[in-house]
Formats: sequence, C-alpha cells, structure tokens
Amino acid sequence: MIAKLRELFGYRELIESLVLRDLKVRYKNSVLGFLWSLVNPLLLMTVFTVVFTVMLPNMTIPKFPVFVLCALLPWNFFSTSIVGAVNSIVQNGHLIKKVYFPREVLPIALVFSNFVNFLLAMPILFAFLIIFRVPFTLALLYLPLIMAVQVIFTIGVALVLATLNVFYRDTAVIMEVLLQAWFFLTPVFYPFELLPEWRTLWGMALPVRRLTYILNPMASIIASYRSVLYGYINGSPPEPPAWDFFSRTLVTSVLVLLVGYWVFNRFSRRFGEEI
Amino acid sequence: MAIITVANVSKCFHLRPDRPRSFQELLVSTLKRGPRRVPEQEFWALRDVSFTVQPGETLGVIGANGSGKSTCLKLLTRIIEPTAGTVKVSGRVSALLELGAGFHPELTGRENTFLYSAVLGLRRQEMARRFEDVVAFAELERFIDIPVKFYSSGMYVRLAFAVATNVNPDVLLVDEVLAVGDQSFQTKCFERIQELQSRGVTIVFVSHSLDVVRTLCGHTLWLENGVLREDGATESVVARYLESVRRKEELAAQLKREAQAKESAKVEAPERASDERAIQAAPSPAGRPASPPSVPEATGQREEPSSLLASRRRRWGSREVEIVDVRFLGRDNQEQLILRTGEPMTIVIRYVAHQGVEKPVFGVAFHRHDGLHIHGTNTTLAKFEIPLIEGCGEVRYCVDTLPLLEGTYHLSVAVHNVAETQMYDYQDLMYEFGVRLGPDSQRYGTVYIPARWEHTPGAWSNGEGAAS
Repeated sequence: MIAKLRELFGYRELIESLVLRDLKVRYKNSVLGFLWSLVNPLLLMTVFTVVFTVMLPNMTIPKFPVFVLCALLPWNFFSTSIVGAVNSIVQNGHLIKKVYFPREVLPIALVFSNFVNFLLAMPILFAFLIIFRVPFTLALLYLPLIMAVQVIFTIGVALVLATLNVFYRDTAVIMEVLLQAWFFLTPVFYPFELLPEWRTLWGMALPVRRLTYILNPMASIIASYRSVLYGYINGSPPEPPAWDFFSRTLVTSVLVLLVGYWVFNRFSRRFGEEI
Repeated sequence: MAIITVANVSKCFHLRPDRPRSFQELLVSTLKRGPRRVPEQEFWALRDVSFTVQPGETLGVIGANGSGKSTCLKLLTRIIEPTAGTVKVSGRVSALLELGAGFHPELTGRENTFLYSAVLGLRRQEMARRFEDVVAFAELERFIDIPVKFYSSGMYVRLAFAVATNVNPDVLLVDEVLAVGDQSFQTKCFERIQELQSRGVTIVFVSHSLDVVRTLCGHTLWLENGVLREDGATESVVARYLESVRRKEELAAQLKREAQAKESAKVEAPERASDERAIQAAPSPAGRPASPPSVPEATGQREEPSSLLASRRRRWGSREVEIVDVRFLGRDNQEQLILRTGEPMTIVIRYVAHQGVEKPVFGVAFHRHDGLHIHGTNTTLAKFEIPLIEGCGEVRYCVDTLPLLEGTYHLSVAVHNVAETQMYDYQDLMYEFGVRLGPDSQRYGTVYIPARWEHTPGAWSNGEGAAS
C-alpha cells in the first residue's frame, strides 16, 4: 500500500499534465470557453430563483440566489467529476492497452481538473455574496477544509465507479440517472432545516433528517458549504460547522476513499485485459 | 544484476463468452439462470516461462503466431499481470506494441508526444528539449500540430517510433515495428536501435524476421505454444527453430500427399473401398446388424488434432541434465516424422549433462492426439541402468515392431534422478509424430495387439457343450 502510494506520488507530473490537457480541451484556450462553463450553474440558479420566489412564493428564504448558488457550485463539481471519472478508464483505453502507469491517475486527474474548474467559478459566488450583502466572517477559513473533504469523498466514489464501468459498461448510463435522483435527495435548492425530524411511512417511523445526514455524505458537505458561506435561512450570519458533525463527515469521506482505493487496486490489474 | 527477471511465469486467459458485459445483461442472465451457461474456457498463453536479461543486452523473441510472444511483451510492460510467477523490470520501460504508442486520436502529434512522455514519467522540460529531435526523426515538421487521427499509418508509426525511442528508456520493448514503413524509414529505425544498443539500452525485440533478429540480438528465446523451447545464443536457437519449422512443414506436406493419394484412390475404386470396409467390420455378434465401424476420417480429423494437446505442452525441471533433441528413426534408421505400423521405430534422445549425474532415469510417454495416455515407461522400470553421465550423450528407445495404428501421437520425454525427487528436464507432449498403416495391415483402433485366430468346427472345446 505504501509502495503503491509512493509510486502514485512519482506520477504527480502525469496527473498535472492530464489536468492541463483536460482544461485545455474544455476551454479551447479561450476566455469564452471558461465563461461557457459558468452558464450552467447561473442558469440553474436563475431557474430555481424564479420557481421558488415568483412561482411558488411560499418558501421564504432570504437572498435566494446566493442560497442556491453556494450549494449548486459544489454539487456541479461533484456530479461532473463523477460523470467524467466513470468513463475515464474506458475512454483512455488507448493508453491502458499500451503503457503501464498507475491507473488511478486517470480518475484522480479528472476529479482535480473539475476541482480547478470549481475554484475558477468561486469568484462569481463571491461577487453574489457581495451583491447580496452576506457578511464575510472568519468561518470562511473553513472553506479549504470543506473543499478538501469533498475532494476526498469525490475521488473515493470516482474510483469505485470507474472500476465498475470497466466490467459493466452501462454503469455510466445508470449513474447519470442516479445522479439526478441524488441531486433531488440532497438539500441543494431547498434548505436542510425544512426536512421533518420524523416521518411515518407504511407504519414505520423514519428519522428523515438523521437518515439524510447518515446516508448522504453530500448532504453534510453541502450543508457545511452553506453554513460557512451563506449562514442560515433564519438570517443568522455564517458560522463554522459544528465540529462533531464536521468530523463525522471527514471520517466518512476518508473511509469512502480508502474503500474506493482498495476496490480500484484490487481490480485495476485486470483493466489491460478487459478493455 | 539482471534488469529483467521473469520467473516461472504463466498467463491464463479466461474465455467466458457469456460473461455479462453490462448490468442489463447481468440482470437478464440472473433471471434465466439455468444449466445452459457456457462453461468457462481456459487458455494458457504462457506456461512456466523463466528468463533473465542483463543490462545492455538485446534479447530476441521468436516463435510461430500464437506462441505467446506478444503476451510475453505485455507482461514485461505490466499492462497485464501474470497468473503465476513474477515479472521484474527495473528502470523506465518504453514499448512499441502492435505498432502504436497509445496515442489519443483527437490530440495533435505535439500533444500526444508530451502526453506519452508524461505517462512514461519523463519531465516536461526534458521532453521539450528533445522535441525537435522527435519531430525531425519522424519527418513530421508540417503535420505535428494536426490531430493524429488524420495521420497516415506510416506517419503514425514514425511518430510512435520517434517518441518511444526518445523518452530516454532503460528498457525498450519492440513488437514487429520494423515490418512497416518504407525502406528508408526501416533503415533509419534500424540505425536508431543500434544507436540505443551502443548507449547501453536493454532491448527486447519480437520479430518474425529472423535476419533482423540475427543482426540485432545476441541472445534469443524461442517460444512454442506458450512454452519456452530454447533460450540461448541467437545463432543456435534460430538454427533449431528453422529445423523445427522445416520438420513441421515436411510432416504437413507428407500428410497432404498421402491424403491426396488416398483421395484419388477412392475416386478410382469407390466400390471396392466400401466393400473392404464391410468385411473388416464383420466381427459383430450374429443376429445384430453389422454396424459400420468407426473408421477415422482419413483427412478431416487429422487436419488439426495437435491443437488439442498443443496447449498442454509444458517444459519444466532444474536442467542439470537437459534434453536438447529428440528424433524419430524408422526403418533403416532413417529419420522420419511418419512411421509405419509393424515396422521398427527408434526414439533418439540427445542430452547434455551440465554436471555429473549418477544413475539418471530417462522416461518416455505416448499420448494419442486427444490426450489418451497410451503407454509410459522409464529406464528404471525396464531395469536398464545408466551409470554416471556427464557432457553430451544419447539414449535410444527402440521398438522392434511399432504397435501403434494410424493417427497422430505426442511424445513426452523426461529425465530425473533415481529417487524421483529431482526432475531435471520434463518435456510434456512436446514432440509429435504420425503413424500410417503398413502396406498390408488394415486394422482399426489405436494399437495393434499381436494375436492369431483359431477355429475348431463341430464341437466346443470346454465340457459344457457336450451336455446335449
């Protein structure tokens, strides 16, 4: 395991050039290309704002565009990473079949290039924060930490799914549907606080709020982003996430990464034959 | 210290034609779970292969198609992993497998060059320094910024070769790359390989071109059906390989001639042939209709019988004593690949004992083409004692009248110590010979059992018959 990690470290320059290649292809070396990548979150933000403040005005959330955007950007980072990483091994079959290198480089590089993209979009979010006069607090110092947790979690999931897609080629298709469901099950365009504590379904009492936190690490991660960037829907200013809550999220993400790395290493030796 | 160490490597591919390739197929196949599943097939591309390559050496790998050469190279690049055994290669490995270096069709020649060198762990600045050389060598100055999908196959190979040899490799693996490209490019590649040799780069070279192997490689492996047949100085390995190819061709030609002769004989007298058959089949109990005998189809069956056992060929042992050659002698002690039933056959086993070995035991075993073990014996069982051997020598297994009937047979030879604790050399099913019936011996089956017929009319020889 240690030797494997050392080898991976030796290939950091490869990860770097793969990230660069990816960004280059995406932006085609132009500013317009970069702006284009912002259209999706901004459009979605506008749609959600129109739907929930004009068409369904019951949900009274102050500064709704910021409320949505500070969850939408991390979610987009996650979902584009997953969609890309699932295909990363199969799409690079030409390399896998001809050269040896640690195969995990491919999904990892993909997650990082999406992460760079996410960082490049952050100024827009800050512009909105200023426009809507959301106070900047010391809680912002937690932002890099939350991003790190999200990267860890995303790489973990990406490693498992990339492996699965090599053996079952419709993983990518299934994942696109599942991601859509995942999006709706994650409090992105609605506040976490609106989830009921308990709900009875078919005679079974379900702790909806707790279950969401336990089963969906993305819910915890999004809630953390929102807590340090936006604050709460009752208008209270941003503050650091509760440390016990946040450390649970961190531990979960690290576990997901370890499991993902183990699964990937277990099966990556067969990639050369399966592709 | 060897730069490449391959120890007891075997590679098995599992061929499962019905393995589900998607969740959809998985679901369908679990729903109709039944006995109809196609059983998993195993294909051993390599069996127990061991060799080492010293730094700066150039190793040639020869063998027929399907002998495991490419699998061997892929194992060296770590693209696939061995089923058993270990492969160790130190340093940076650059490979040209099946005429490609792993280029992405959408990226330009320039981008692919940098990507490939990064994949091999070369620093960006280092590639930038060599970039001019690569482009000049590949003669692609005008096309380097065009996506490689628009390249002609010649341009593609030129760039692949230029990049693979320019990434400063410690080990270069080359699979048949010199077969393409025009004459001037081939010459250039050849010179580049010689330049790398002089710089001390270790090269493993797979080729069907024996001339190139002779020129470039000091040491050569001969693979046959996944087994390492020979490992030694290029000249002698190539010579033996050619000898074996010649023998095989002879065998095939002889079989063809006979089949043709038989065919024309059949056309001439079809009636007679079937009559004879009926008579030969007569020994069926009276009252039941004489069932047609299961005469082996003269040609059809024998076209490819060896492939069945060929995949089971193996060679192992500690090699203190090595069996270097096996020949079949027929009548008049002439070397023959097709022997005749009823005539004498001698199997000559030539060995080299690299050290003194006392009382070695030599053994032989015969298998029919479908794997049936017909006969096996050794010198101990025959109470034939060989005293100390050292250096080269010859053991003969002499059969006065060959009892095998028409068919293709495989021979295994082995030599081990008297206590059977140490196997020196075991060549399982590695030799093949054919048997044809003698001119007047029409029989069916696998072996001839020497016997005679008797007849007493009018009475039964034991007492029971006399009761009436």
